[in-house]
Amino acid sequence: MERTLNIDLRAARFGYRAKSRNGVKLFAASVIVCACLSAALASWLPLQISVVTVFLFAGPHNWFELRYFLMRLPVRFGKSRNFFLTAFAGIGLLTAGYVSLPLLYSFTSWSSDAWSMVIASWNTLLLSWLALLVWLRGKNKRRRDWSWAIPAALGLCTLNWLAPELFSLAIVYLHPLVALWFLDRHLRRTRPEWLHTYHQCLVLVAVLLTGIVLRLTQTPALPDDNGLFWRITQHSGAQLLPGVSSHLLVSVHVFLEMLHYGVWIVALPLIVPATIRTKQKRNRVWEVETVPLARHPRGVPKLVGAALVLGLFVVAVLWLGFSVDYSTTRDIYFTVAIAHVLAEAPFLLKML
Amino acid sequence: MKRMLAFYALCLALAIGVNTYADIARPSPTPEQPKIVFHTSMTVIPDKKAYEARLQISQDSLNELKAALANTTADNSVRRRIANSPARTVIAGLCLFLSLSIGGIWLMRSAQPRGQKMAALLLLGVAVVGASAIITQANAGPPPSYQWRNLSQNLNANKPTYASVDIEILPEGYGMKLVVPVKNQ
Repeated sequence: MERTLNIDLRAARFGYRAKSRNGVKLFAASVIVCACLSAALASWLPLQISVVTVFLFAGPHNWFELRYFLMRLPVRFGKSRNFFLTAFAGIGLLTAGYVSLPLLYSFTSWSSDAWSMVIASWNTLLLSWLALLVWLRGKNKRRRDWSWAIPAALGLCTLNWLAPELFSLAIVYLHPLVALWFLDRHLRRTRPEWLHTYHQCLVLVAVLLTGIVLRLTQTPALPDDNGLFWRITQHSGAQLLPGVSSHLLVSVHVFLEMLHYGVWIVALPLIVPATIRTKQKRNRVWEVETVPLARHPRGVPKLVGAALVLGLFVVAVLWLGFSVDYSTTRDIYFTVAIAHVLAEAPFLLKML
Repeated sequence: MKRMLAFYALCLALAIGVNTYADIARPSPTPEQPKIVFHTSMTVIPDKKAYEARLQISQDSLNELKAALANTTADNSVRRRIANSPARTVIAGLCLFLSLSIGGIWLMRSAQPRGQKMAALLLLGVAVVGASAIITQANAGPPPSYQWRNLSQNLNANKPTYASVDIEILPEGYGMKLVVPVKNQ
């Protein structure tokens, strides 16, 4: 009887390992193919690919992020109450401030130096908020002292006040990489056996980035004679870094954005259900019950459902807006989308 | 009556003031400083057979000069933005000061000998790099003017002189000028 049980356990373990090995191979192959394809497309037709990817994936990736954040949100905040209150207040206030900047620009005639001060002030508020969140998160950790965040944030403030526009541009380029960090933390929790392979794939991403930089350094600037292409090159920092080819800047940015969309739309939704699978039944992303906040007896299923439906509606409106007036919708989207950039910070901190 | 007198006195003072101000010569505009756009080398060759003075530039140097001229506006704008903003520089300095002081206090208070050792090593590294920078600066080569010191003798002796040169763009004027540093020996 005991032998039979042992044989069964061994067989089960062997089966799991074989399945896991196959899963790692599939995961690695998918990441390699996606990364190489993204790098090739971003280098070849950066402007066109930028237009297409933002049109197709900008809205859906925000919906998946919303769903992911809802899944990570606890039913009761408990000890993390101050952390979440600070997080939500910061997201609201900083988003309102960021959205008001273009309006302020339209109605005032300040000098470029004054604008630099305004941008630097917003960046300082962002850094202060982040430092506060790290400090609050550190308070919940017994063995770790995270108060180093304050001098680190002040050090970053120094760089910000020296070149505020370049600091903002750094956020544009660093934000897509945060998704890779999310994936790392998630794999660490759910599929630790995939982590080594994932890190090897990250090396490939670095190699591809280096390749794009070396390949496109000497290329001529992209034609930005129409309003849309001009916006795309400006968003990538062509005006701030005139010594760098705009082709290189847009390609790197599009490549990082494609990875970002890939992680949120494909990688994380495929891994997340493994952690919350109930009764051996595969959960679907559109099912409200998959969100713990809705499934819990003290949860708010209606609110979660309404948020997800509203999110879908916004995605549809975004697609409609892109179809009617792509340039204006793109401008509005990238202004309002600062909210999702900010929202990533507290949820990532909760995973550390 | 006193009020009237005071009013007239004020009008007179203002009138004199306006007249006096009107007679002040316009302030001479601050001369714009020339911008160094390119650093290269130059060889001055006296040639007895030459009919006309010639300025010879290699194709590579010309291309580099063109690139430097194309980039000069942008480079200056970024540099100027950092340099010409005292308020931002002051705030940046304040943030750096606070960062270093709070970081130092945090380091001292954190009871992690390993972290303190790392920080001590880091500080030591910075000190070594700084000291080596000072030493190498002290042993730096002679200034560029040193290369031009024998120009007049070389010209008299019909010998070439090889030295470095900065190419500057002047906002006004015509033609080219070669300004050579001359030190009294």
